[in-house]
Amino acid sequence: MDATVLQKPTTIDAYQALYDTLGRAYWDASTIDAKDLIQGARESIYDIITELDEAQLDANTTALLALQPKIEDTNAALKKIKDSINEITKNINTATTVIGAISKVVAITAPLL
Amino acid sequence: MPAKPDISARQSHVPGPISLSLPVLLFLGGCATSPLAKHTAEFATATNAVVDSSEGAYRAAVRLHDDEQLSAAVQKYDSYQPWDPHSIKHLIDARGLDARTDILDGLKTYAQTLADLTNGGHSDSLDAAATAVGNNLKQMSAAFNPDSTTPPSGFSITPVQANAVSTALKALGDFLANQKVKSSVPKIIRDMDPQIAVLSNLLNSDINILRRQSNDDYEQLLMQQDTFIRKSGQDLSPIERRAEIKRLGQIILRKEATDDMLRQLQATIKSLAETHHALATAAQSKDTASLSERIAELLATAERLNHFYDSLPTT
Repeated sequence: MDATVLQKPTTIDAYQALYDTLGRAYWDASTIDAKDLIQGARESIYDIITELDEAQLDANTTALLALQPKIEDTNAALKKIKDSINEITKNINTATTVIGAISKVVAITAPLL
Repeated sequence: MPAKPDISARQSHVPGPISLSLPVLLFLGGCATSPLAKHTAEFATATNAVVDSSEGAYRAAVRLHDDEQLSAAVQKYDSYQPWDPHSIKHLIDARGLDARTDILDGLKTYAQTLADLTNGGHSDSLDAAATAVGNNLKQMSAAFNPDSTTPPSGFSITPVQANAVSTALKALGDFLANQKVKSSVPKIIRDMDPQIAVLSNLLNSDINILRRQSNDDYEQLLMQQDTFIRKSGQDLSPIERRAEIKRLGQIILRKEATDDMLRQLQATIKSLAETHHALATAAQSKDTASLSERIAELLATAERLNHFYDSLPTT
């Protein structure tokens, strides 16, 4: 059978509906033998649903991995902007340093002025 | 220490454009943020909620599925089907969990950096640098004019004037930073919007699977517990039997609580995508910004400058 057919949402939904129906039948059953029989069938359906869920999660992992470089590139672009804004602050700090240096020279040479 | 002069007194010492722009900005001062900043803050909040809850949901779902397998193994241990403890298979393998954690952390970084950039995250360092310029000018003035007995040196600056210089530098720095943000960030947000839509669809699909699988894992646990009580219950004391029967109800309660949590997470993921779309729309309206939006941006600028000016020392 084509694996993609199994992964269709309608297929999974159909299995899930059967699983839920068997669940109700389990609690309605009045003997242990009947319950065991239903539980056996329900477990097989559970295994199929679990495999389909795992396959879908794997497919999502692949799609998420494909998306990851785009997010990394965007974050790198934002960091670049942040760095250039920090450069503005750095330039003001340079002005502060220059004024501070002038002040020191003036303080030392003031008596001579 | 002399009292801080009121704002009108400050202006009288402030030369040039500062004396004109400052009162306007201070008049406009109030609690306001730009539309872009408001949306980025909301987006960062929604993102944090989604990232933290999603990572917790993945871990909880994997743990629950492991528990189901262990419980099933206990039940089948003495049956004809041999059980190999190595056969436990995680619902999501390490590669899948790492991929999800990495992408969610990347999303968190994106949201936080956006919020920092558009909410003046640079402001603290800029404030410190601008304040330092004013302080150094005051020191330079003091160095040129050591005491009142010496003749005027030709360079003198009052504290109010030094503060005005600091404020002007702060305004200039903010202006340059805002220009940088406005010219670069909106395009990044717009380009990212389809990716966020894809990501939220994938996360939503993940949560749909987790909801179904968690429901079934709890159902399996319930049946395994019921079978244990029916088949081995006679070997239990009345008190032990009572406790085991009570566990049936507890499994149901945990199942419902887990589904509630996952449903809420889906709603938050939906809100994340919608908030980012609103953010992209706000970013797109750069050329057609309404007057009220422009005024809101101006108010935000004025408020920041107002706080900064008031924080400066007057001696």
